[in-house]
Amino acid sequence: MAAVRAACVALAIIGSGAPAAIAAQPPEPQDEFRPVGNNPAPEQIPAAPLLIGAYIVVLGGLFAYVVSLSRRLGAVRHDVERLEGELKRRGR
Amino acid sequence: MSAPAGGTPFARSVWLVLQKDLTVEVRSREIAYTTLFFAASCVLVFAFALVREGRAPEGGAAGILWIAIVFAGTLALGRTFERERQSETLRALLLSPMPRPAIYVGKLLGIIALLAGTELVLVPLVVFLFNARLFAHPFWLLGIVLGATIGYAAVGTLFAAMLVRARSRDVLLPVLLYPVVVPVIIAGVQGTTALLQPAFDPALVRFWLLLLLAFDVVFVVLALWTFEAVMSD
Amino acid sequence: MPKWFNPAAILCGLMFVVSPVLIARAPDESSMGMVYKIYYYHMPSAWMFLLAPLVCGASSALFLARGRPEDDRRAWAAAELTVLFGALTLITGPLWARRAWGTWWVWDARLTSSLVGWMIGWAYLILRRYGGPGSDKLAAGVALFGAVNVPFIYISVNYWRTIHPPTTVVPRLPVEMGVPLWFCVFAFLLLFVLLMTMRLRLEETRTRLDGLYVALDE
Repeated sequence: MAAVRAACVALAIIGSGAPAAIAAQPPEPQDEFRPVGNNPAPEQIPAAPLLIGAYIVVLGGLFAYVVSLSRRLGAVRHDVERLEGELKRRGR
Repeated sequence: MSAPAGGTPFARSVWLVLQKDLTVEVRSREIAYTTLFFAASCVLVFAFALVREGRAPEGGAAGILWIAIVFAGTLALGRTFERERQSETLRALLLSPMPRPAIYVGKLLGIIALLAGTELVLVPLVVFLFNARLFAHPFWLLGIVLGATIGYAAVGTLFAAMLVRARSRDVLLPVLLYPVVVPVIIAGVQGTTALLQPAFDPALVRFWLLLLLAFDVVFVVLALWTFEAVMSD
Repeated sequence: MPKWFNPAAILCGLMFVVSPVLIARAPDESSMGMVYKIYYYHMPSAWMFLLAPLVCGASSALFLARGRPEDDRRAWAAAELTVLFGALTLITGPLWARRAWGTWWVWDARLTSSLVGWMIGWAYLILRRYGGPGSDKLAAGVALFGAVNVPFIYISVNYWRTIHPPTTVVPRLPVEMGVPLWFCVFAFLLLFVLLMTMRLRLEETRTRLDGLYVALDE
């Protein structure tokens, strides 16, 4: 198909751009995590509030979404039951 | 109006669509002039807003140029397809035996022509207001500007066509379009900025140009398939 | 809900309850100390944030090709999860960055393209909500472009000027750090499947409701 061929051409062109992309680079970020030996980290901003805050955000956010879904589902199910009752009443 | 005698049915269809748009536009010049004026006003507003001690900011030229193109392009896209909607010409095109991708390509070329015309005025304006030596490397400039314009227009034409019959289409076009084209605009701005560096580095400009080319290919191919799929019902 | 849903939900809940214990027992990191442990929730969120648009894009492509409403429902559900997990990633990341990099945000390729991907998710939802009839197909078109953005987000960190850790971190993790990570990844993946199922059930019930309204009007 023409679209598949065109997509392959696209990929080839992108691939050819990759070497150029590697050209200008910044100072190397750390590329692996190393567990600590016994050196204490320098204190700048306290880590604990950030750490706990992050976990609260994630768990809170997920919980809020689950609750929102349950509520929406409950409301729609309620409406479905109501309408089904209506229909039965009308003898359909 | 007549199509060229030779060429494939696809090319002839593209030419027909393009010719129709250009003819309508040349007769009224409405969208061209208003888009141009709006783009120029954008540049001026940004220049005024960012002026310090009577001089415009040094590094602002590239960003301001592309913001103006993006905003003006959004308006142009909206108005072009509004025109189609009013006369139901888009539906007529879709009902015709023309291959759908040809309709898309025809509209795309029309939008690119419109944007290119706007840029023809905008770039010298930016050079003038910001003392930006963009014309020092004219071919690189042409490549960057054209590359980013094609990427932007490819997605913009698709989304504007898709939204023709939707509710709230005026505000939905920027909402949908801007996140998707941000990478293209960033590449355009970075490429233009690279042209303005005192120590010109062709490798850096070539990198952004290649990236733009990659975006263009991906976006046009994806848009061709999506146009076909979405516009058939 | 399918039969496996409730046991899976209980399992998922338990895993989330247990995960802070596992994470607390993991060692600190040599240059970032304790704050890097945000990573145990940040990274699985990020992976779900990358998975969701791929599911959305694939479902959208199927929907445009076949026109089946199940594909459309799956795409919509996946778009909501894109926004959810994107929000979690984009909040936990800066919280970590504030301590590790000294700044909340940098405009590098990874963060910028992630923000863009998140906005595309929002654009999808706004379109579905306010676009009127026919917006299912339009949103499917948008989703395709969102899906194309995902590989870009992932590899950008390896090729561009950035202080964000590259993708070599995960394969090189020592065991004490790897175990809690993969535990959390599995928990998040399970949660992803559960949330998709719930959201799909919501959409199916809505469709049934629409059908009932139509039947009532006849």
